[in-house]
Amino acid sequence: MTGKTETKTTAYIRTLIAGLWRENPVFRLLLGMCPTLAVTAAVKPAFTMGCCVIFVLVCSNIIVSLMRNLLKPHLRILMFTLTIATFVTIADLFLKAFVPAMSETLGPYVPLIIVNCIIICRAEACASKNGLIISIIDAVGMGVGFTVTLCILASIRELLATGAIFEIQILTLLKDGGWFVPWAAMSMPVGAFITLGLMLGLVNKITNKEA
Amino acid sequence: MLKIKHFIEQSWLLITASFFFGLLIAVTSAALSPKIEQNKINKRNRLVSTLLLEAELQAKNFVPLDSEIEIETLQGRKETVEVFRAMSDAGECVGWSFNAIGPGFADKIELVVVVDKNFEKLIGFDVLASAETPGFGNQIKFDYFRDQFKGAPIEGLKLATSGDNTKIDSEIIAISGATISSEAVVDIISNAITQIKEQIQQKGLIGNDRQN
Repeated sequence: MTGKTETKTTAYIRTLIAGLWRENPVFRLLLGMCPTLAVTAAVKPAFTMGCCVIFVLVCSNIIVSLMRNLLKPHLRILMFTLTIATFVTIADLFLKAFVPAMSETLGPYVPLIIVNCIIICRAEACASKNGLIISIIDAVGMGVGFTVTLCILASIRELLATGAIFEIQILTLLKDGGWFVPWAAMSMPVGAFITLGLMLGLVNKITNKEA
Repeated sequence: MLKIKHFIEQSWLLITASFFFGLLIAVTSAALSPKIEQNKINKRNRLVSTLLLEAELQAKNFVPLDSEIEIETLQGRKETVEVFRAMSDAGECVGWSFNAIGPGFADKIELVVVVDKNFEKLIGFDVLASAETPGFGNQIKFDYFRDQFKGAPIEGLKLATSGDNTKIDSEIIAISGATISSEAVVDIISNAITQIKEQIQQKGLIGNDRQN
């Protein structure tokens, strides 16, 4: 009995950790590249986007897991999209009501969570085959993995572009009597591609050593 | 009959789920839409107050006109515009404001325009919503461009590609690299402003401080 619960717990922990590193959605699975490139100019929008994705991912995994035995194979993608679209719309309404300024900054990228591959991938690969608890843990792991990755990318870009992280000034700018000259390019798309490329290279280097 | 049975068998989950999800969205939207509307009004009032303050005018509240103002948009459609009177503490009209929408370079541009109490000079404008290209067209939000409108006469606004953009007159100097966006702003403002002025004048509301 104890052995059985232990294996169950290890399975839960393994699922949780998988999203953070081994199967990190951005660095390892290369999913959800659109928000990764688009909203990582500063940490605040990246963090908000991450939270929205966690909410949608958890809700859609719960629903998909609950109805997994009722799904008709040829209609399943339709059902996934319907579920995801519902929760994205709800998240969008909440942002508009409670953080209108952030909602404007993120613009179309919140509704675009509907086509974020991470969510549909988790619905297909995990929630439609597993029980409720595993699905929730998987969603949390993947969502947190995504959010952390986005925040890391955003911190690097925000620091180099404005000398601040989370709008807290860290490097003193030249115009304020410091030494740091902001790299305007980092807040533009080119900064996103370069940072992501270098990060991917770094992660690949580390994992190659591990293997 | 068999076909219907087959259809129901295949799609009952989809139909039920659509109904359930639709209900969920409807409830959330009903619960949150008053707050979302209020956010929009607050933002608009904040922008108008700031513009009035820059012109050293204090507005306490914004009273919508009772009578309807209908203008022809740049795309040739008829649209009603809500015109607000900015009232001071003493109950005097200090200015007028309204929203103006028109086509920009990337997507439609929504502006809030503030005019002085005699409808002769612009007090300024601000951008409520736009999707102009960052670095180029979105400079319509920047002070150096918007400042040209502060105090400009409302008649005969026109765009010039070069000139002195610190001089306040009916000539607006375009943002270099974003002539289309600059032109859009000038067109949107002058199209709305002339039609609204005409109708307000006909109704005899200018210089009339009573809250109609």
